[in-house]
Formats: sequence, C-alpha cells, structure tokens
Amino acid sequence: MATKADLESFVTNVTCPDDFDDFWDEVKADLRKVPLDATCEADPLRSTDSSRVFQATYRSLDGLEIFAWYALPAEGNGPFPAILHLPGYKSEPALRRDWGVKGVAVLSVAVRGKLPSSREFNPGYPGLLTSGVEHRDTYSYKGVISDCMRGVDFLLSRPEIDAERIYCCGSSQGGGLTLITSALRPEIKAGVAGYPFLCCYPESMRMLRSYPYDELSCYQRAYPEKTAQMLGTLRYFDAVNFAPRIKCPMVVGIAMEDEVCPPETSYAAYRLLGGERELWLFPESGHGNAHEYPARERAWLEERIGVGDTQAATT
Amino acid sequence: MTSERQPSDAFWERIEAQLAETDPDIEIERDAFYSQPEWDVFQMRYTSAGGHRLFAWLSVPHGAGPFPALLRMPDYASVHDIIYTPLRERAVVMNATHRGQRKSDGQVRARYPGLLTDGIGSADTYTLFGAYADALRAVDMLNAQHVANVSGPVALTGAGLGASLALATAARRPAVSAVAADTPLALGHTAALEPGLGYPLAELGDYLRANSGSESAVESVLSVIDPVSTAPAVRCPVLMSAGRSDRSVCPLAFADELAKALPDCEFRVYDGGAEGGGHVHAQVRGAWLAERLGLEIS
Repeated sequence: MATKADLESFVTNVTCPDDFDDFWDEVKADLRKVPLDATCEADPLRSTDSSRVFQATYRSLDGLEIFAWYALPAEGNGPFPAILHLPGYKSEPALRRDWGVKGVAVLSVAVRGKLPSSREFNPGYPGLLTSGVEHRDTYSYKGVISDCMRGVDFLLSRPEIDAERIYCCGSSQGGGLTLITSALRPEIKAGVAGYPFLCCYPESMRMLRSYPYDELSCYQRAYPEKTAQMLGTLRYFDAVNFAPRIKCPMVVGIAMEDEVCPPETSYAAYRLLGGERELWLFPESGHGNAHEYPARERAWLEERIGVGDTQAATT
Repeated sequence: MTSERQPSDAFWERIEAQLAETDPDIEIERDAFYSQPEWDVFQMRYTSAGGHRLFAWLSVPHGAGPFPALLRMPDYASVHDIIYTPLRERAVVMNATHRGQRKSDGQVRARYPGLLTDGIGSADTYTLFGAYADALRAVDMLNAQHVANVSGPVALTGAGLGASLALATAARRPAVSAVAADTPLALGHTAALEPGLGYPLAELGDYLRANSGSESAVESVLSVIDPVSTAPAVRCPVLMSAGRSDRSVCPLAFADELAKALPDCEFRVYDGGAEGGGHVHAQVRGAWLAERLGLEIS
C-alpha cells in the first residue's frame, strides 16, 4: 500500500517538450477545420420520467464519427448545466440518467476505438495504448483527446446547454482525460478526475505489471530500439504535462492500493495542477472501487453546479 | 430416488446437444507481443453452439507442468482482456469471451446497454442464452487445448455476468473444483425485474416499460438461468461476494438467497455497491483461489 509519504516523495522524470503548446494548438486548429456535423436522435427506450435520452454523434479529428449518450432533464427546455463524462479505457461509455432529476445534462462520450465509435478506427483492447505510438502525429491518443475536446464543442452547439456551466468528470482513463481535456478547453468550469490513468508513463511501466500500462512494456520488449521514440511521443500525452495548464477547480481521487494506476503518478499530476485543487485519498481501496467515491464525486459536482438540494434518482 | 424434472433441464439438454454436434475446430497461436518473461500468451479460437466462432486469451507458465488452471468468465462488457494476476506465473489462466463480445462478434455484435434484452421476446431468440453455451464450451476447450499440460484443480472466477456463468458452468461440469463468484448477476431471478435498478439490470426495466404487460413472459424466458435454481447442483466450494447497497448487479436479497442455495458457499458481504468488496475482497479471493489451486500464497 502506498502511503502519503510515498506520494510526496515521488518525483517523475517526465519533462514537458518545448513545443508542447504548439503541438496542441495545431491539433485544435486541425480540429476546427472538421465540421461538427452533430446528430441527436431520441431514444425512447432509454428515456425515463426524469431524463430524455438521445443517441448523439459528431465528427472529430480525421473526420471520424464519434458516438455519445446525451441525457437531458425531462423537465424544462434549459439552459441546463452540463457534465462531459469521459470513459475508462476498456469500459463502455456510461449512460448517466441519474442527473436528469437535478436538472443537469450529461454527455457521455465513446471515444474512437470504443463501440460504437469503432467503425473506422479499432485497434482493440489491448492495443489502443500502443497504436501509432511511434510518432505524436500518428498516436491514437491524439484522436482520443480530440474526441473529448469535440464533446465540449457538441455541448456548446446545443441551445439547451448553458455554455458557462460545463463540467467534466471520469475515472481511470476517464480521469486522465478529464485532466487533459480541462487543460485544453477552458470552457470547462470544474472537474473530478478519479484514479487518473495516463500519468507518468515511464514510471507507471516500471511500477506495475498490470494492463493497460503493461501494453507499453510489451511494446518495449518487442521493439527495444524504438523505446526512446515511444517515450518521446508519450511526453505529449502525459497528464502531468497538462496539469499546470488546468486553471479551473479540480479534484483528484486516488486509491492507495491502486493496482492499475500507481497512486504516486496520480499524485504527481495533482501536485502540478494550476488552479484550485482538492485531493481525495482512499486507503484500502483499489482501482475504481473506493466505496465512497461515487457519492463524493456526485456531492462535489452538485455543489459546484449549484444543484445540491433535491433527492437524486437511482437510475 | 429420482429428482423431479425441472423446466431448465430441457434448456441445458438443448445446449449440450448443440455443443456435441458442433466441431470446435480449435486454433491456438502464440502471441509473441503479449507473452511475458514468466509465461507465454496464446490466442485461442474455437466454435461454439450455433457456429459462433469465439476468442480467448490463454496464458501458460514456463516449464513442463502439469499446472492447475483458472478460467475467468467474461464480464458484461464488450472487452474481456488479459487481466493481470500473479497466478499466471504458476497456473494456466484462460480468459474466455462469449458471443457478441470483441473478437467473438462475427455473427452478433453486442450493444451495451442492449445485450441483456436482445431477443428476449422468446426463448428461441434470446441472444444471451448463447453465452451460457459459450461458457460450457470454454471449460471444454481449456481441457482440449494442446499447448499446456493442465492437470489438477480447475477453478472458475468471474464478476457480475461472469460470476453467474461460472456458477452455471460449475453446475454442469463436475470437474470444476472451485468457483470465486463476485456479485453474481441476478439475471433470471425475480429480483432483476424490480423497478428502479441501475444498469445493467435496468435494461430489463427499460424493456418492461416499453413493452407493458410483458413481465410474466420475460420472467418465464429468463427463469431457466435463475442462479438460485441452478445453485444446488454446484457441488464444489464457492467464494461469493456482494455489496450491501448494490442495486444494479447483485441486489443483496438475491445474493442472500443464492448463498443459502449453494451447498458449500463462503459468502462475504461488504459495504458499497456492485464493486462487491473491491480491493479488500480481491485479496481474499486471490488467497482463496491460490489455496484451491494448490499454489503457495506469496
């Protein structure tokens, strides 16, 4: 089990490339050239008394069509505050109907590679983490992160959404993507990053044998001559390099027994956050399974959004 | 004494007959990329009932063996990957998929949410019944494969749907020597049809809301896979976990009933929901499985 002292004494060797901001400015510029082409189709089967559910799509980098669940409050026409919910590495995008009763919209994104956004890009699981890692311009996460940024564009395009009240959350990969997207899109007003993945790749590879980080170790064993190249690419996609660029309030939740995302690496990202920050430590909890986490995440977001008084529904 | 014939008997007999008449056409290929210094990783492919071509990951420790084996049944999700466990150093570990999951989706591609009610209007069309055939096939293929010398205990493990598949399989395959079942999915039990549940069980609620008056028909279709009905046939030791506030996978009242119906069950209840004890139970499960597999606990 990691201790608080372990977290505080950990120092990452990850450094930020000099052209980091230029690279991401170019990605954003390329993304702006892609028409959003948003669609939004009602899904009566999944809708409830408190939530109207839609199957949404939009275009992202390289013109790929990205799917998302879009849940709106059943009552009213808005403008609603919105949560951008970002997915874990291999899990399905969550259909979050539980916020409808609070008057909050949720967009839950299936980034490229995930069903049903996998028609044109499908490296699989395992596979995604090393797909195109030879170069920053071919790396899968250039697209994955773009898909998350495009989620913000989707919300901004909707007349029923309050553009001044967009929030972000997710766990594991969704936690890492919450950090990264919040750094790249200042429209996000606050976020909660649980058990964040995508932090301190070289150290995470050394500290653990579990997937997904082990995919990188497999790549290193298979192509030792390309390891430096791989680590060079990953510097552009490491959440610790995005953390100082996050100016909105941000929570990082860490399970001290996390066997998938080393607690020390998540803490390294937390320590570098550029805005108001809050740390939640969960002793005797592993990756994604702290009992208190879901309720705590919800309460924190409710307070930030300003909807904390009414009773939440179960589904 | 002869035991009374149950409605589920015909269901299982049909599955066994379909499996018997299907050539498994097993293919195994070493995966150099994902193989580790201490164990080799193989990609397995084989055919299950209805001609569905299925995929599984198989890891084999270095050395001649024989080895005990652990089979991890698939979760309710599109991906069933090479989950790390230190047991891979000393046991053959197989991660099997069911039809509709990634790499096993040649004929049917599962949707989430969606799979839980796909074709539920009739027992003849319900897609997820095929997963129960696929689970039996997985155990048979673990025994049939030729790259590892499997001898001794064979344990099954799984969470949610995977736990229910593991229990159902153990009931049909007496060679299974232990089952670690985390928060078995209540599919088939009336608890799964209660209103106000979260996903994945909420899929059933969605269906019932859209198809009013169908509750008794759905209950009838699913009854053949009720884990409580199958439980008395599970003769091996079972370690089972549940979360006190689980309202989406394994509601506590169902878990209690299931634990009582299992002849040899160590039942652990934890605070929290569908994570069923999370890290704490993972430690308990790891030690329990190692002991059942005859491995030293490190």
